[in-house]
Amino acid sequence: MHSKASLALALGVMAVSGYAVVAAWFWPWKAALFPLVIGIPLFMLSAAEAAWVLFGKTERGVVQDFQIARDVPEREVVRRSAAAVAWIVGFFAGIVLFGFALAVPLFVFLYLKLQAKEGWIFSAAFTAGVWAFFYGLFDRLLHLPFPAGWALSWLS
Amino acid sequence: MIEALFEGLTLVLQWKPLAFMMLGIVLGFWVGLLPGLGGATTLALMLPFIYAMQPVEAFAFLLGMHAVVATTGDITSVLFGVPGEAASAATILDGHAMAKKGEAGRALGAALASSLVGAIVGAFALALAIPMVRPLVLTFGSPELFMLAIVGIAFIASLSAPGVRGMVRGFLSGGLGLLCATVGQDPQAGIARYTFDSLYLWGGLDLVPVLVGIFAIPEIVDLAIRRTSIAGTLPAGRVSKGALEGVKDTFRHFWLTIRCSLIGTFIGIMPGMGGAVAQWMAYGHATQSARNAEERKGFGAGDVRGVLGPGAANNSKEGGSLIPTVAFGVPGSTAMAILLGGFFLLGLVPGPDMLTKHLPVTFSMVWTIVIANVVTVIACFLFLDHLARVTTVRGTVLIPVILVLIFIGSYTSNNHYGDILLTLVFGGIGYLMVVAGWPRAPFVLGLVLGKIAENYLYISVARYDAAWLTRPVVLVLIAIALAVIFWPLVQRRRRAAHA
Amino acid sequence: MRLVLAVIAALAAAPASAQYYAGKTLTIVVGYKTGGGYDATARVLARHLPKHIPGKPTVIVQNMPGANSIIAANHVYAVAKPDGLTIGTFNRNLPIAQLTKVEGVKFDMAKFAWVGSAASECTVLAIRTDLPYKTFEELRKSKQQIVIGATGPGANTYDFPLLLKEFLGVNIKLVSGYQSSADIMLAVERKEVDGRAGSFTSIRPFIDRNLVRPLLRARATEPGVENLPIDEDLAPTPRAKAIMALRSAPEVVGRPYVMHPNTPPEHLKTMREAFAAAIKDPELVAESKKAKMDLEFVNGDVAVKVMNEVLSQPKDIVDEFSKYIKFGE
Repeated sequence: MHSKASLALALGVMAVSGYAVVAAWFWPWKAALFPLVIGIPLFMLSAAEAAWVLFGKTERGVVQDFQIARDVPEREVVRRSAAAVAWIVGFFAGIVLFGFALAVPLFVFLYLKLQAKEGWIFSAAFTAGVWAFFYGLFDRLLHLPFPAGWALSWLS
Repeated sequence: MIEALFEGLTLVLQWKPLAFMMLGIVLGFWVGLLPGLGGATTLALMLPFIYAMQPVEAFAFLLGMHAVVATTGDITSVLFGVPGEAASAATILDGHAMAKKGEAGRALGAALASSLVGAIVGAFALALAIPMVRPLVLTFGSPELFMLAIVGIAFIASLSAPGVRGMVRGFLSGGLGLLCATVGQDPQAGIARYTFDSLYLWGGLDLVPVLVGIFAIPEIVDLAIRRTSIAGTLPAGRVSKGALEGVKDTFRHFWLTIRCSLIGTFIGIMPGMGGAVAQWMAYGHATQSARNAEERKGFGAGDVRGVLGPGAANNSKEGGSLIPTVAFGVPGSTAMAILLGGFFLLGLVPGPDMLTKHLPVTFSMVWTIVIANVVTVIACFLFLDHLARVTTVRGTVLIPVILVLIFIGSYTSNNHYGDILLTLVFGGIGYLMVVAGWPRAPFVLGLVLGKIAENYLYISVARYDAAWLTRPVVLVLIAIALAVIFWPLVQRRRRAAHA
Repeated sequence: MRLVLAVIAALAAAPASAQYYAGKTLTIVVGYKTGGGYDATARVLARHLPKHIPGKPTVIVQNMPGANSIIAANHVYAVAKPDGLTIGTFNRNLPIAQLTKVEGVKFDMAKFAWVGSAASECTVLAIRTDLPYKTFEELRKSKQQIVIGATGPGANTYDFPLLLKEFLGVNIKLVSGYQSSADIMLAVERKEVDGRAGSFTSIRPFIDRNLVRPLLRARATEPGVENLPIDEDLAPTPRAKAIMALRSAPEVVGRPYVMHPNTPPEHLKTMREAFAAAIKDPELVAESKKAKMDLEFVNGDVAVKVMNEVLSQPKDIVDEFSKYIKFGE
């Protein structure tokens, strides 16, 4: 799996650095110098990495970082990470639509109930606790500006 | 000098300053722990309360709080893989990896003990350096600061896996970080670079949302995939022992801890380098201390040295960063800028006098940092083992809480949805990097140093033309940068000769 | 008859607005993060305003940073409700952003309900005391190059010396890229640069320490620098004068406070009175004196006049102005 991911990243960096260089080309030289000095070698390195993955041997060097879930079968990894990404993105969508004050308890409760398969009482109590903490600290005490959700402002 | 050192101590060791310090410590403890609460914001909120206090009391309160924020930020990093503060992200790489191996207690012990050593070493290094600290700071002009950034960027080499392939990926990661640092309005021509007409991107990519994304999101996805607790299926009993082991580790690698403390103090003294830089340079240095490939392999997978280095630097830099604030009135960070506001409120004038006439007051601040750390570390040890047990809580229950904290934590940096979006985008990139085996540390180095390098290069050239390259300190720093890049190669050559 | 009606109206309005603000929360939206001058001023005001608003509402400060305040200004202009409960304080140069048609500006500075300004911001040029020039004339006549440090285009550290170089013929080498005005001060101290321009408030501690000497100021003034020569008075042509005047005009309104354009007049009146009273409050005066910030209330009417002055410039002046000045910081 890691070679596919590396290919995806390398192509992504190629696209980003390519765009960066093209965009910088038209700026005054003082603004363009750094993006060009970084962008051009970055483009070449990422091309090299992509070529390596496509045509080279698949060998995994020593990576100074953690490795994701080694003992879970690969197909399950893909399925579960897709679910995790869906939850994370869904939470963000919930915040945009309903605002923090509603989205936080909604997300915590749904996650506990649907994903963690916890009981009703535990889920409700836990949600209440998280919400009270969130509301008391960030809203009442710190006065963070939490915008109202889009869905709610359409209704009103 | 020595009298001033002790006079400073007696200033702090009175019941009122001590009481205010304790209050500050309690506040700072939570501020550091929670990702949504920034140290600088809290300092600003607390500023009105110091009107009624004496200078020493006020600084015991503010600095006590500030010093602890850096320490307890590491706890969040270790336990959840979420940076509690922007300056404590480097602890995640090995600290959280240790927690996943069931060594949360040991990692916490190491982080706290090294923080303590860092604070003390930093304080003493400062005390010794006071007579020459003004000339030292003044020697580091823009050319020197540029080269210092280059030395930092050179650490990309030692943060990459060995071999050509590993280097390519390390430099790709670092280059991407450098490129990301160019986003926003540039200070030479005023061009809005890579902002895609979005107002949010004008000011550049904010460090906190990016760090939270690139480090915390992959950990969450990993936890969701494993469907266990953070420490896997290990029994609670095993996880909650080992804090003492972490302390022993600190002394096992004592010289490393000392060196990283000194790195932290030095970077702290340098104005404009920023809090995040010290930790990553210390981490880079810690990886260099591995003598062979076998030893290096552990880094990123839970090597305790990867916790000790950043832990030590994180606290020693606080003492150092007092210097530009106190002696020149030039704050090195937002937190220090707010402290500077406190100076004026209290009728203190930052300047050379603070290193001569008012030296005891300056030392009382250094002592505050030391004492606050001693108190925190001791208090933490009382329930460290319980804290470590969090890693045995079912992941499915932790995930929603961590996600809420991550989202609010990134949202508070600009109070804008763009913050969360940035976290998600860089979360995706971070996840791919982990899967693909690209190291994430070089990316952060590039991101935190890119702007510094660009600005100081332009200033150096505009001011000195090419002559800046011949300044003695610049030459020394060029040599150090080369040494940092080629050290891994030399090591390998030596090993080959042995074999 | 009309007078009687006016008196009745005034009498009726007072308790009405007392009821209005009682138990409510007034939010000051700051266009910057915590830790800067705009934020500090807002927080001092937030502590002392409640006493002077009938009904004593809670006053809180919220930070909405980004795009040098444009995001916050767009918010107060279009998203916030016109209920008199949201006050914005932004970058003083926003009228310049509107004038030079910066992308993303969705507000009209002249249309805001202007409470006023809490301080004027005086820009000065200061150079190291060990340089031989005691006055600006000496510096200008010497024709020797001096190096001025700056943050970047759009900041007064950059724009002020740039115009001096372009129009007054001062031999300035402008070195830009410092991360903050404090960093330039350090560069002055290590003799990397010879001086800097910037707000008097931020330079004053270094003038007190005898590190730098102020030589010249812009139009807006503060106690302590009244006697310095003013840049636009030295302008050789009316055109140059117009451009310098345009750059410094917003500085009279150094800490702007505005509300939604459709805010009911009685709330605006309440706020103007509250700000005027709070800024004279002895406790606030003592506090701001300690914090070395000089607060002085400039009424909203004056602010609107300044906005109209800036926004009504003829096109050729705006075009020429845009050649030198970019909106920023």
